[in-house]
Amino acid sequence: MDIHELKKQSDLSYDTAVAKRNALEKARSRQVMAYKGQLFRADAETICLVRTLKESLDTFCVLDTNHNPVEITDPTEFLEKLIGRNQESLNAYKQIYQTFTRKG
Amino acid sequence: MSKGVLLFCFDTEHTRYHRILERCVKLVRKNISDEITVITDFLTYQRMNPMGNINYRFIEPELGNKKNGQEWRNVDRHMAYELSPYDTTLVMDIDYFCFSDNLRQLLDTEHDFLVPDTAHDLTGRNTFDQRRWSMIPMVWATLLLFKKNNRVSKIFDTVKYIKQHYSYFAEMYRIYARNLRNDYLFAIALQQINGFVGYEKLPFALPTLPPDCEVVKMTDTGLAWKHNDQISCVENQDVHVLNKEVADV
Repeated sequence: MDIHELKKQSDLSYDTAVAKRNALEKARSRQVMAYKGQLFRADAETICLVRTLKESLDTFCVLDTNHNPVEITDPTEFLEKLIGRNQESLNAYKQIYQTFTRKG
Repeated sequence: MSKGVLLFCFDTEHTRYHRILERCVKLVRKNISDEITVITDFLTYQRMNPMGNINYRFIEPELGNKKNGQEWRNVDRHMAYELSPYDTTLVMDIDYFCFSDNLRQLLDTEHDFLVPDTAHDLTGRNTFDQRRWSMIPMVWATLLLFKKNNRVSKIFDTVKYIKQHYSYFAEMYRIYARNLRNDYLFAIALQQINGFVGYEKLPFALPTLPPDCEVVKMTDTGLAWKHNDQISCVENQDVHVLNKEVADV
């Protein structure tokens, strides 16, 4: 058992965990999206909500990140923007994530 | 409706803040807006390299505040409302480096006052758990978005009032820091003017590098830092750098 090797592995694990946390925070920041003057989070919850409401309503209200009601008159456009931003942020996260797996 | 970015920059005996400003302006212009106003004093202005089309406003900075025993000219933030030439203003600390365009969209929102209330420690140590340092949840006045209207004017009036009686409010809220911090000025003012029931915030945590991290490299897209002999970096992510030696990188 080489204690230096173990310490090295421990350091690497710590660095990877911190870098992963930072990359995830970066993705979360990127998911904040302005639409019709309000701020929304392009996360899975918002996307699922908008898609569900869109199935039965042409216009509807949702809450922004500060719990203000916003009327969505073009759900298709809104959903496209949400999905676009969500995937942009997660693809960037995936690229960073792959560098962690390469490091072992 | 005019929109722009407002920056405060005053050199001190120990820190050449104008060098930090030069980096900050470059990133603001690339990622947020061409409309930039710098609040400074004439001495600092004379040391600056040409940075293109920028509005300058000269004031005499209020002296007397200190950080880690060194002069810290940061107590003029309460004048941002009067000094800004814009209808919608994004006030930023010059040590907030916007390597992404995330903030650009804020200028297009209808919110009249937004400020972040959380910071993300990029070293993973959660050193900004502010509850331990006061009885009031702190905001990060590093970034402020405001529009000029009657309500926001009253917020800034309240900030001025709190500043005038800061020692009283610092005792009342059991603020650990002995110097004057804009973060607490705005936190107290927002709590008071909003009837003690909360206020609207920017929905993300400020990515922040604690002061014990030494920035070793900075490019147009990110920076690398050293902490405990470990080198880490971020790309295309905004960073608030608390170590002022970044001026020499």
